[in-house]
Amino acid sequence: MASNGFGKSTTSFSPPSPSCSGNNNNDAGDFECNICFDLAQDPVITLCGHLFCWPCLYRWLHHHSHSQECPVCKALVQEEKLVPLYGRGKNQSDPRTKSYPGMEIPHRPSGQRPQTAPPPPPNAAGANPFGNIGFGLMGGFIPMATASFGNFTLSTAFGGLIPSLFNIQFHGFQGANVYGSTAGYPFGSNTFHGGGNSHDFSQGTGQVQRQEDNVLKNLLLLIGFLVLLTVIFLC
Amino acid sequence: MTSSSASSRKNLSKIACNRLQKELVEWQVNPPTGFNHKVSDNLQRWVIEVTGAPGTLYTNETYQLQVDFPENYPMEAPQVIFLNPAPMHPHIYSNGHICLDILYDSWSPAMTVSSICISILSMLSSSTVKQRPEDNDRYVRNCRNGRSPKETRWWFHDDKV
Repeated sequence: MASNGFGKSTTSFSPPSPSCSGNNNNDAGDFECNICFDLAQDPVITLCGHLFCWPCLYRWLHHHSHSQECPVCKALVQEEKLVPLYGRGKNQSDPRTKSYPGMEIPHRPSGQRPQTAPPPPPNAAGANPFGNIGFGLMGGFIPMATASFGNFTLSTAFGGLIPSLFNIQFHGFQGANVYGSTAGYPFGSNTFHGGGNSHDFSQGTGQVQRQEDNVLKNLLLLIGFLVLLTVIFLC
Repeated sequence: MTSSSASSRKNLSKIACNRLQKELVEWQVNPPTGFNHKVSDNLQRWVIEVTGAPGTLYTNETYQLQVDFPENYPMEAPQVIFLNPAPMHPHIYSNGHICLDILYDSWSPAMTVSSICISILSMLSSSTVKQRPEDNDRYVRNCRNGRSPKETRWWFHDDKV
């Protein structure tokens, strides 16, 4: 084992045995254990950022070192603060292949998982998906001049979600506006889910007259709706 | 060829063998300045020529380092000594033993032969006098039975040289 045919001249050296040739390109070096210099197995990383195989580091800290120091930079190493690296690849070989003879290596520390991200607030949850869909469609299809398609999709989506008279009517003339002006304003659809606020149409420059009409109609609808609500409420 | 010189010691573990082969490849691609690894088939014992750095007391002098690797390398430090004649240095005994903390208490498995060599050259270069350690005779007498420097209880007191 000790002699592996290194008797060649230094210049023409080639890795003598497949067991150790590995891949010697420099990219792999970023993921090599700082102790065995192999691709890290059961990789763990210290808070000071140094990568090791878990078995290598465990063995060093528990059986050979006199202190709990990082072998690279001598920073204090606390086992409970080691971060395991979970890559995508599965362990192709039995993890015990890197066992150190006569030594029991415990499982490597597990990751400290913060709680899952909280769900978005209900308002945003209602509006955003449609805004995003609309945006995506418009952005994707505008070069082919199919703004109407995006708008149509949005309208049906909204109509399906809140099938009220108000919404359906509103989309009716929102469409008219978009046909005329959206080509230059792909973001028009984003204000769409504002739910009938007049600022939806402020982007339609060059169509001031129609805008004012729309605002008026909108206002009228709103008033009508409120009246309707009041009547219902009073009943 | 067989590695007869290493037959008395335990063979390198698989991990040690792997790592040493990687270190050797790296050395051959990028050897530390002033050092020359003498080619041999013995992975467990390296003999390295070191040439004193220009502008120091050891300019153009050449010495030989012998590095022996334990079975559990790199968990344990290699044994590093100067072959006869050892350079005259306040931390180098006439039997070639070197008083250098990283070879003993301060060893870390992240160190390499290359980094050891650089430390030794640095130690040589910062020397201001060519002399043996004060307790050289006593120490060498104690080591007559071939004791390894790794069994010495070293006292590292001088961080200047």
